[in-house]
Amino acid sequence: MYLEKNIYLTFSILCLFGYLWLGYNLNIQKKKAVDTQICFIKKTTGLPCPSCGSTRSVLSIINGDFSKALLINPLGFFVSVIMIALPIWITIDICRKRKTLYIAYKKTENIIKKKSISSLLIAFILINWIWNIIKEL
Amino acid sequence: MSTEKVDMFMMTHGKFFPSQHLGHIREKLTKLDDSKWSTVQVMQFKDPTTALILSLLVGALGVDRFYIGSTGLGVGKLLTCGGLGIWQIVDWFLIMGACREKNLEILQRSIY
Repeated sequence: MYLEKNIYLTFSILCLFGYLWLGYNLNIQKKKAVDTQICFIKKTTGLPCPSCGSTRSVLSIINGDFSKALLINPLGFFVSVIMIALPIWITIDICRKRKTLYIAYKKTENIIKKKSISSLLIAFILINWIWNIIKEL
Repeated sequence: MSTEKVDMFMMTHGKFFPSQHLGHIREKLTKLDDSKWSTVQVMQFKDPTTALILSLLVGALGVDRFYIGSTGLGVGKLLTCGGLGIWQIVDWFLIMGACREKNLEILQRSIY
C-alpha cells in the first residue's frame, strides 16, 4: 500500500512503464505522426504541464540530437539519466544485498527539502513551465 | 500521561493516524512521561482530507506527495506527468493512507 516503504518496487515499476512508453513512442516515430499525447493537464486545459515534451526530448537524445532535446524540454536530460541509472543501481543493490539506493534517496530528499535548494528548484520548474507555454509544446 | 489527556489527544487527532495503529498509539501515550505532553500537543500533522483535495486537483504535478513530505516521489510524479496519468489516479485512493502513515512517522520520531 505504501509506496515509500518499498522504493525498489516503486522505482522498478516506474522504470518499466517508462521504457514501455518509450518503446511505444519509438515504434510510432518510425511509422510517423500519430498524436500520442496523454497529458491530463494538456487535455483538459490546453496548456502544457511542466514536464510536457519530456518524451520528445528523450527521443531526440536517442536520435543524437542534443540541441533539439534541450530546446524541447531540458528535463529530458534529467529523465534520461535517471532512466539509465536506476535499473543499473537497483540490480547492483539487489545482487549485493545492500540498500545504497534507499540511503541515497533519503539523503537527496533531505537535501531537496532545504529551503534554499527547494526554492531554486521550484523557480527552475516554473521558468521551464512558462517557457513550455510560450513554446506551445 | 493521564488517561484524560490521552483521551483528549485521541479524540482531536484520531483522524490523522491509521486506524489499525490507534490502540498502539494510545498505549504508548499512556506510558509516556508527562513532560512530553506539551511537545505532543503542539505537533503539526498533515490533514489527509487536504492531501486528497490536492491529489484530485493538482495530482499530476505531484503536489499531494510534496504536501505529505514525500519529496522524492513528488519529483517523480512531477517529471512523469503524474505517472502518465495512471499514478495520479492510483494516488486518489492511496494518498489518504500514505498521509496517515507519514503522520505516524512524525509522531514516532518525536516520542519513541
